[in-house]
Amino acid sequence: MAASLFWIVLVTAIYLVMILCLGYIGYKKTKAAEDYLVAGRNVHPVVIALSYGATFISTSAIVGFGGQAANLGMGLIWLTVFNIGVGVLLAFVIFGKKTREIGSRLKAITFPDLMGKIYSSQFMQVVSGLVIIVGMPLYTAAVLIGGAQFIKETLGISYAASLIGFAVIVAIYVIFGGLIAVMYTDAVQGAIMLIGMTFLLIFTYVILGGVTAAHTALTNMADMVPAKLAEQGMNGWTVMPDLGSPIWFTLVTTLVLGVGIGVLAQPQLVVRFMTAKDGRSLNRAVLVGGPFILMMTGVAFTVGALTNVYFNQTKGTIAVVAAGGNVDSIIPLFINLATPDWFTVLFMVTLLAAAMSTLSSLFHAMGTALICDVWGRGRECALSLKANQIGVLVMIVVSVIVAFLMPGSIIAIATAMFMGLCASAFLPVFAVAVYCKRPDPFAAKVSLVVGAAVWFLWALFVNSRYAAVFGLSGAVLGKTSVLPYPWSAIDPLIIALPLSGLAILLLQARAGRLMAESAPV
Amino acid sequence: MLGIPDPQIWIAYLLCIALAIACIIYGFLNWNRGGA
Repeated sequence: MAASLFWIVLVTAIYLVMILCLGYIGYKKTKAAEDYLVAGRNVHPVVIALSYGATFISTSAIVGFGGQAANLGMGLIWLTVFNIGVGVLLAFVIFGKKTREIGSRLKAITFPDLMGKIYSSQFMQVVSGLVIIVGMPLYTAAVLIGGAQFIKETLGISYAASLIGFAVIVAIYVIFGGLIAVMYTDAVQGAIMLIGMTFLLIFTYVILGGVTAAHTALTNMADMVPAKLAEQGMNGWTVMPDLGSPIWFTLVTTLVLGVGIGVLAQPQLVVRFMTAKDGRSLNRAVLVGGPFILMMTGVAFTVGALTNVYFNQTKGTIAVVAAGGNVDSIIPLFINLATPDWFTVLFMVTLLAAAMSTLSSLFHAMGTALICDVWGRGRECALSLKANQIGVLVMIVVSVIVAFLMPGSIIAIATAMFMGLCASAFLPVFAVAVYCKRPDPFAAKVSLVVGAAVWFLWALFVNSRYAAVFGLSGAVLGKTSVLPYPWSAIDPLIIALPLSGLAILLLQARAGRLMAESAPV
Repeated sequence: MLGIPDPQIWIAYLLCIALAIACIIYGFLNWNRGGA
């Protein structure tokens, strides 16, 4: 049952007015470039935690990965283990505090700027900026699609109007309000997401007759696994797929490891650490961040898998069939059919909040990378408010175009692509930058180029899921993957990250030895 | 456990909850550490 249009429009309007008011406050507080770029380095710990969490979790996690859990089962919960253990604990405690300290000392204003200053290398700044400009529109488009699909389903307006309208609303407050507006709207959006996901978990178990009853019903559906998935190693929705099977490789290497590790070196999240006033703020942010992520992805993946029970009880079929084969439609369809009208409205605002909080940060990171780090680097305009606002606008237009070009069932895959690329290119250079006393610029350059180049080559020509999306291998070589299984099922991150890590470790060790030899005795 | 037969999955659920609790404890224990 779709909620009445009057209530949807009213609640959405109230929400949007609230967000635009916060955007206006951000606009009024933005006096200098440092305000626009790193929110004046003086953000409250709860705002940092909610902003980090809300940026981290988008419609991609809820709709895209929730749909993947409906398709592949509860094994995806291992990603939540990584989301909390790596994405919050490790990120804040091991990387966050060092990043804040160094960023503040070097007066770094973007992630590429931080890399450029630590390594005293223009190359590091420009190439990091280029990786963001090329890779981030993929993820941004995926988040845009997730939001637009739900708006289309709920409001009944065309997909094109949903997508463009959605992008324009976020564009307004990012372009004018900068990172202050982004983080304060994020915090409100994070609170809305927490309420929405808590209700979703309770509703799902109530509808399905309780926790154990719901899980048992899902376990008993194992014989309904589609033949194609069963052939590839899937055994049911409450058990892991066969070790080493194609489904296992997709679940473990692309979805769990690709996204679980990839989150560590995402430029739009690293900037959050640079907005903290002191290390204490980051310690306090951990307290809110861990439980927040548990309630986001933990709920999305559990409910995603359990939608199969609902569709089996009401339509006699599994979720992906009920959604017409598009996994990205499963969660929106479940919400529209299974939950009361008022919750459909609340959940729509929850999803809008999830998408907008992530989009705003991505728009900001891409626009500032374009102006501060690539096009305007070394020029007067690098720190000009107006130039950065134009940069943000240009990258928003690029992302909307990419969103229109993307195929269906793409949200989770495009997200995993971007996160895998970030980890392969940035994670080794980022780790050495914050933990090595004398980071070697040559080692970093080689690692960055090896990570990005190997990731792109593997994604374009070897991994069959990614290569099929890009279509380059098929067009040039006449086949999707140049290597046989299991190579064609392994995520590019699994190959590119060890190589870029090895490159920086070997060259950094060599540089350390040379330095020791040339030091005066 | 709770209708989930595969220990690989319910162990993951327990780990999620344990890590979230660890975040809360870490935040409280280090509430005033790491000043400017």
